[in-house]
Amino acid sequence: MADKLLVRAYNVEVGDCLYCRIPKARKVGNQIDDFHMLIDCGTVGTTSNLAAAISNLETMLPDAGGGKKRLDLLVVTHEHADHIAGFDPAVFQNVTIGAIWMNTAMDPAHPQAELTNQLHSLATTAMRNLARLNLNLGPDLQDLVALYSLDNDDAMNALRETLPQANGITPKYVHAGKTPSELGLPLHNATIRVIGPEHDIDHFYLGEDVDETLQGLIAAGAMFRESMTPSTARPTNISESDFRRLRSRMMSTALAFAELASEVTNNTSIVLLIEWQGKRLLFVGDAEWNTKFKAGKHNASWNVMWHERKTRLNAPIDFLKIGHHGSVNATPWNDKEDGQVTEPSTILDAILPVPASGATATAKAVVSTMRKNYQTIPRSALLVELGKRVANVRNYQTLLGANASSLPKFDEFEKTWLGSPQPARTDCENALTGAAFVDVEVEA
Amino acid sequence: MSATKPTISLGPGDAPATHDDPPARALTALDRNALYAARRFIGTDVEKKLKLRISFDVYFQDPLVAQENPKLAFDEEWYVPWEPGLQDGPTSARFAVVDYDAHMDTLAQPARWDEKQDGFVDPEGKLLNRHNTEPYQFHQVNAWAILQHALEFYEDGWGLGRRIPWGFNGSRLIVVPHAGPGENAYYDRSSKSLQFYYFDRGKERIYTCLSTDIIHHEFGHAILDGIRPLFIEAVTPETAAFHEFVGDLTAILIALRNTPFRHQLIEATGGDISKESTLTGVAEQFGKHVQNKPYLRSARNKLTMADVAGDQRPHYMSQVLTGAMFDIIIKLSKHYLDKRDDATVPQAFWNTIQRMQFMALQPLDLLPPVDVTFKDYAMAVLRAEEIANPADPDDYREMMLDVFIKRGILDTATGAALSKPHHVFERLDLDVFHDVDLISSSRADAYRFLDDNRRALFIPPNIDVIVADLCTAQKLTREGRRLPNQILLQYVWREDVVLEGRQFGHFDGQATTMLCGGTLALNQNGELLAWARKPGSQATGTSPPANEEQGKGTYRRLAFLESLTRRIRSGRIGTPLESEAGLLAKAIPPLVAQRVDGALRFALSPHFGITDDEDDVDGGRAWQISS
Repeated sequence: MADKLLVRAYNVEVGDCLYCRIPKARKVGNQIDDFHMLIDCGTVGTTSNLAAAISNLETMLPDAGGGKKRLDLLVVTHEHADHIAGFDPAVFQNVTIGAIWMNTAMDPAHPQAELTNQLHSLATTAMRNLARLNLNLGPDLQDLVALYSLDNDDAMNALRETLPQANGITPKYVHAGKTPSELGLPLHNATIRVIGPEHDIDHFYLGEDVDETLQGLIAAGAMFRESMTPSTARPTNISESDFRRLRSRMMSTALAFAELASEVTNNTSIVLLIEWQGKRLLFVGDAEWNTKFKAGKHNASWNVMWHERKTRLNAPIDFLKIGHHGSVNATPWNDKEDGQVTEPSTILDAILPVPASGATATAKAVVSTMRKNYQTIPRSALLVELGKRVANVRNYQTLLGANASSLPKFDEFEKTWLGSPQPARTDCENALTGAAFVDVEVEA
Repeated sequence: MSATKPTISLGPGDAPATHDDPPARALTALDRNALYAARRFIGTDVEKKLKLRISFDVYFQDPLVAQENPKLAFDEEWYVPWEPGLQDGPTSARFAVVDYDAHMDTLAQPARWDEKQDGFVDPEGKLLNRHNTEPYQFHQVNAWAILQHALEFYEDGWGLGRRIPWGFNGSRLIVVPHAGPGENAYYDRSSKSLQFYYFDRGKERIYTCLSTDIIHHEFGHAILDGIRPLFIEAVTPETAAFHEFVGDLTAILIALRNTPFRHQLIEATGGDISKESTLTGVAEQFGKHVQNKPYLRSARNKLTMADVAGDQRPHYMSQVLTGAMFDIIIKLSKHYLDKRDDATVPQAFWNTIQRMQFMALQPLDLLPPVDVTFKDYAMAVLRAEEIANPADPDDYREMMLDVFIKRGILDTATGAALSKPHHVFERLDLDVFHDVDLISSSRADAYRFLDDNRRALFIPPNIDVIVADLCTAQKLTREGRRLPNQILLQYVWREDVVLEGRQFGHFDGQATTMLCGGTLALNQNGELLAWARKPGSQATGTSPPANEEQGKGTYRRLAFLESLTRRIRSGRIGTPLESEAGLLAKAIPPLVAQRVDGALRFALSPHFGITDDEDDVDGGRAWQISS
């Protein structure tokens, strides 16, 4: 047991909360013991799951003295509610944290994230104004607005101020290219590399084309002013209901900005490559992919990594934390499924090759997800594709039997694919046994 | 619409009436209304003198072209029919300008109609014309006047010869000239609107409401939606491409009506407008600043149907048809030049442009009610020509057929069949005779006609049929000759289809319908003008023609499923994200799927963006919003 690396994906509905224990990988002085880390703690679902997860986490951690448990590293991949909602100091009061990592775009003082931060704060203002109007937004857009909820401020404050103070540490804003000594972890016979995001956030993930539009809109923009009150002017040549209908069919710059900001935030997720005993584990947060890398334009994380950190990525991995809860745009693949070779399909074949006929896959993967407001997350076809490339697959149709139809939106988005092997899913394991987490072990 | 005594305009030479021409005596409002009621019998020139047509200053292309090419700045012959109900806005019978900016949440003051000056004034009371183009109110009037003119282009005798309804319920299309920031302009049926956005390019602010090409293109979508509302419920890329084609065609045909522009073109090309390089050179100006979709440039392409087979990009595909129509323009002008001794190049070109109005527009009334293909349009063009010009001494049909065959729109077998000698007008072979006057008098009578003749019309016996449209048109030909009235009856039915198989993704197992039907065009003598059908796969009889029809319908059904599969695979179908807060363009896929009466219906979304779709990104991932 102790020789196996453990990844425990807590069931937090739509969110991430993953514990990783690397055996005998921590060395302080002459003492060698396990290295314990937590990656994200958030959800857009029931927050009680998060507190339960941390309670369970405490049972896995060693004593730190003073009645507390020791956590060596806390990684916060990016600033979305489904990854940070759980960072309440009360929930972590029994945990001593050795280091807190956030991505460099979350550093308000980072000069190469200035525009990104501006975009983020514009989007936040716009979305909070929108929330106040209490308009009917439909479930998908409601999610987008919810990403910018006031509660995020509390979580970010906890991560930047309260928790570091309580633990006597300063948070680190990490990016690709930082050396192990710069990262400063007490690791032994293991490395934790950051391969995303790049340090120059604005250049890679915003790009010059977005810059121009952004500047223009910052200059104008009623939507982005704090506590905007809607105007009462009404046209006199059309009816009130025609005008209301018209407004609902005009482009919303607020939504466009929030969506863009959200996309950039996903793409600045910390991507970790953990190497231990010849094994490679990839934790990708919500990193997205695009058709290909375009220099100077706004790019997605996977393409940037393929372009800038190819040596790290261009080899099979042994574990994948499937990105963005199984979303179609967070695991590079040929989503048209037409057999064409594309940059994303090349990346997937490099990290998780389909085993040759007769051979079996050895890699493992897990997805922390639940089908909720955004009905195409997880993308079942993607999970089936990944099921061809990993060993820890499950046939959830067979396992769940008649209960399968109780999965949300089963007919449209599960049925066709549930009978094919898929990697372990927190939602299905929970439906099966009420499991509060999914464990994946990697042997040396 | 002036039907009986139009003045034949020979192009350059006929000076338009000016504001200075004194009328015989001052007209009262009552007089004007009475003349307006009688306008069908008054010629265009007299209308202008009587101020039943008012001139407006509109940009020929856009402000930047106006700067670079002052001769082409404003269209000098832009007339808009006067209406008794003109109001502030501008607001007229068919258009209501609402100058609301969704981003700024502001409403600009409307241009005010000043009856005395026969024009619109800005909030300061100053007349809006080429000397007063700065205020937003000028933009409002510019867009409105262009749209009024374009509508007339379609409705008058050389167009469809009838009033054309919109694709939505209502008479007024809402026009939003400054909808907000964005490189966008689109027609949206559900809000009954044409929306024009603005964007910044360096220090310049570019207003799409000042780009005549963009206004014409979006108007093309709106008017086609009115002529054939069921085209929006189309699964095939070709039907979406046809929508794009109508937009481009409108822009080109109306642009070529501008006299100084034609003259510049002729000068630049040394009289040979087929010359590739110089035509492209002149067209360079257009769209250079505003968008990457210059209409004239896209018309000069050599694409064939084979080049675009299987493509999903509607505007890219549309170029085959736009190119074909431009080939016809060139051949026609060459013909006018060669065959007429007295013709000068300007004359020949003007004759061509005039003829193109009815040659290209009148076939629209003969199209099937659903699922149009380029071939349908080509057949309609040839048939419309045959109706207007049965003797065809100049062999226009052969010339057009040749163009369509070269582009792969029609094949040689079809061409041979069309060229075989035949009677131009025949009577429809019916089971039960119905008088054509009765058919055209009401929908109920049209229903009865259809039902009594299901067998003859290849309508399946066990499905209810719907009268999609019934109208009468008075079209004109080149010399202003009245064609016999056309009675146009469109009928449709829905064939049930269940989608079975993984290729339908998450639609697997769901029910949808395939639209079938036909357009029957009869003249006032009951003769069959045209009959364009989209058959279903159900049996309608046992005769050889019925079997043949069923065969075609079965093939159609397979093609429908194939198209749908391709659309789903390439991720081009999604569910619409409705919100009271407005649209998130990124989250709207090209086709949306909605449930109506328990079955799926697929419909084209408004197309956002004004640039070409050559670099269009495929895949469902494109519409996934990041959260």
